[in-house]
Amino acid sequence: MASLPTADTQSSNKTSLLMTYLQVTPLTVVLTFFFLIPVALVVAVSFFRYQMLVGLVPDFVLTNYIDLIKNPTTWTLYLSTLKFTLIVLVITFVLGFWIAYFLVFHVRNLLVAIGLFLICTVPFWTSNIIRMISWRPVLGKEGLINSALLKAGAIDQPIEWLLYSDFSVVVAYVHLFTLFMIVPIFNSMARIDKSLLEAAVDAGASRWGVVWNVVLPLSKTGIALGALFVVTLVMGDFFVVTVMSGGLSGSATSGIFNDLQFLNYPRAAANAVILLIIVLLIAAAIFRVVDVRKELVR
Amino acid sequence: MSSSPSYGPRPWTFYVLAALFTLFVIFLYGPMIGVLILSFQGPSASLVFPLRDPSLMWFDELFNPRRTGDVVGAFYRSLPLAGIVMLLTVLVSVTAGFAFRRRFWGSTAIFYTAIASLIVPGLVLSIGILVTFRYLGQSASWYTSGLGAHLSWSLPFGLLIMFAVLGRLNPSYEEAAYDLGATKWQTVKEVVVPIVFPGMIAVALFGFTLSYDEFPRSWLTVGSKNTLPLEIWTMTTNVTSPALYALGTVTTVVSFIVIAIALSSIILIQRKRSS
Amino acid sequence: MNKTATKTESGEIRLVNVSKKFGPSYAVQNINLTIPHGSYCCLLGPSGCGKTTILRMIAGHETPSSGEIFIGDQMVVGKSPVERGTAMMFQSYALFPHLTILDNVAFYLKMRGVGRDERRQRAEEMLRRVQLHHLKDRMPAQLSGGQQQRVALARSLITNPRVLLLDEPLSALDEFLRLKMRGELKSLQHELGITFVHVTHTQPEAIALADMVVVMDTGRIDQADSAKEIFNSPRTPYVARFMGGQNVLTGTVSQISDKVVYIGHAGGGTFEATRTDMPAEQGKPISIAVRRDRIRLRRGSGASGVNQISGVVEATEYQGSFVKVTIDVGGDVFVANVSDADYFAEPVDRGDAVTAQWAAADVHLLSKLDTGAAGDPYANATH
Repeated sequence: MASLPTADTQSSNKTSLLMTYLQVTPLTVVLTFFFLIPVALVVAVSFFRYQMLVGLVPDFVLTNYIDLIKNPTTWTLYLSTLKFTLIVLVITFVLGFWIAYFLVFHVRNLLVAIGLFLICTVPFWTSNIIRMISWRPVLGKEGLINSALLKAGAIDQPIEWLLYSDFSVVVAYVHLFTLFMIVPIFNSMARIDKSLLEAAVDAGASRWGVVWNVVLPLSKTGIALGALFVVTLVMGDFFVVTVMSGGLSGSATSGIFNDLQFLNYPRAAANAVILLIIVLLIAAAIFRVVDVRKELVR
Repeated sequence: MSSSPSYGPRPWTFYVLAALFTLFVIFLYGPMIGVLILSFQGPSASLVFPLRDPSLMWFDELFNPRRTGDVVGAFYRSLPLAGIVMLLTVLVSVTAGFAFRRRFWGSTAIFYTAIASLIVPGLVLSIGILVTFRYLGQSASWYTSGLGAHLSWSLPFGLLIMFAVLGRLNPSYEEAAYDLGATKWQTVKEVVVPIVFPGMIAVALFGFTLSYDEFPRSWLTVGSKNTLPLEIWTMTTNVTSPALYALGTVTTVVSFIVIAIALSSIILIQRKRSS
Repeated sequence: MNKTATKTESGEIRLVNVSKKFGPSYAVQNINLTIPHGSYCCLLGPSGCGKTTILRMIAGHETPSSGEIFIGDQMVVGKSPVERGTAMMFQSYALFPHLTILDNVAFYLKMRGVGRDERRQRAEEMLRRVQLHHLKDRMPAQLSGGQQQRVALARSLITNPRVLLLDEPLSALDEFLRLKMRGELKSLQHELGITFVHVTHTQPEAIALADMVVVMDTGRIDQADSAKEIFNSPRTPYVARFMGGQNVLTGTVSQISDKVVYIGHAGGGTFEATRTDMPAEQGKPISIAVRRDRIRLRRGSGASGVNQISGVVEATEYQGSFVKVTIDVGGDVFVANVSDADYFAEPVDRGDAVTAQWAAADVHLLSKLDTGAAGDPYANATH
């Protein structure tokens, strides 16, 4: 953490360095036992052999990977996941950007802005499953929207595609994940010196010109951080897509889930490794575009 | 002084964005409020509006498990688990946060490991932890493998919050305490912790709620006995009565109580400081 | 290029009955002010007096709650800064942190749709003028404070404004750079011949730069005049105290004629002042100002005759070319700035009884009664 403010005024001798390592030990231990070793084992198991009724057989084979790559279902599932990821990314970005913009630059009272910001973030601390399920009585065949439209005479038949469809999956994702965009973009925008906007207006920039030339570039790190969250959450999701599509759509994780049902751990692990590699590649690409670490520790 | 607010007429964009914001808030809260209302559904047991003969029968059914499985037991597992995760998250991420204030060999590696732990798909990690425990000859349970799985997700969050909090902590406070003869421990106890306390409450809030609501990482790791989100998940597939909504209402109320305690204590501390 | 045509117009600024409310309280109230075309005007006052609000209303970054603002013949309230022909230099410089120096300076041209090559070329010319061409590819954070300021200046000037607005432009610089930049600003204004409006809270800065100094007190203008007038003939006790260099005394008018006013002081002395357009009435209290550097000191108490006051030396402070002698006159503070030659010819020390004496010509009647220096943080500032 080179860019963190250092406060070791009391000399940087060996005892205080030891102290530092002691302070970071609990974190390292937890990460080792519950992240590094498990992930390493997943990688290892992905090369194991699967035997009906026996389960895991230690080995080094590529059959699990070859199976997956040859299977057209894998490709369909990954494409479906990518499709959802892109759609959700675009919607959450547009929503997150303009809501953060509204809170930072249009709400004049700071306390009001913080209050509205909290309203946006409170659902984050409540159960995702409940929030997901809560769409059922709204979107369902006899749900609020359909009954309202029927009553208004706008439709004769309930709209079927509102629930258990790609549409409802996207609605649930946007509902669950938009605040992962709002929060980091809000943080970036709140740090923009307001006189920069005035300077741009002085130079003749239009309202849109200010957004495009000043606000957008200066919120870049927040956008990247938000995108990192949204991408990894959607790519790694299994449960939303299962519940909200009624089992009609799948995601990359559906394959893993199915293999697990049959206790085919090696192939599930191989699939997990593929997913992990894709997620990490996207994360690395985002880290390359902007220095997210600098943003985090600032 | 230089950035005093302008009270001129509001631009039209204000109204457009205010409308967008209002719609978003309705989108965010509307369905949750719907579930809240429907959990008071009468004996018609209808899962959709309108609400007929409001009653508390589904709450009753929830806590007298004739049909709905082990909800009470799930509560008694989820709450202590969330409490333990909260405590450990505060302790571990605060101490680690202090370590990261100085340069040390390996800091970058640990930082990126924490970030990777945050973004790794929950299901992938769930499999990994399960396999790890199997190789250790342990069976998975909510207070061992489940706890670890939750920490793998709450600790990076807590660490990031501590970075933000400690990044704003002016080192001259510590220097001043040192000048005035405080020992390192006294400085931490009397100066640093009180200053960063609101940040620690935020870490606690994240620790509690992330664990209390965590699902993907719990899925394979809590063993034979379900935590609350898993119980709800089971119910979504086999319970078709408003008891599901009643459970949703109860968990949401618990979440809101925790959020309210955390936020109001942060606000109280800040107000005390500014007055 | 039709918009730039307005820029050759007059840069005279007129504020007519301008008020600005923030919530229930007035930041500025009923301001009337005319700043002549091509002048260097300093808005001077302590923080919170409303000077920045006035500047931002001229710039178009605040809208007045009531009143009108004219630049040239144009009523500019509701107009954009570009339509006004104003450019502002911000206190924090407000350089875009994500753009290079060159792109910062070229920003205005980009907004006007000037092609990439042309705007780069024109921005480079402007950077050459402020001698920063060699830094054109740097980012703002890589520049020193002084360099950042020159970039900010270049970025403002490329709009070819008729009015340049400067918000505390020198406050972030160290003493040496401040004096250097001060000189550069003055000669730049001279060279361009456009109106400069400069907000500051330091008196020497205002006096050194301005053709016109506007002294402000909590939302009102106390005096708008040339630097010389402000310094020599303050019209109110507030201005006299704020500008420094003056003693403020209060007494009662004992005798009044067409040319002279005699004032009886509570301490027993009598002061004589030339009658001016300031209100003075027989038997009514009145405040006067006496310049600190026009005072002669002699040892001993016993003031006799007009324009004298006795007291005990409280402190002496060596200031180089003069010595500041602070005298306690019956509980009030009276300051004499004695030239070093005079002082060392007959030095006085803490505790000595002295009598101060001055000529009637160095006394100025003030339009308001002195309410004391309470609440005025600059009352005892040394100059």
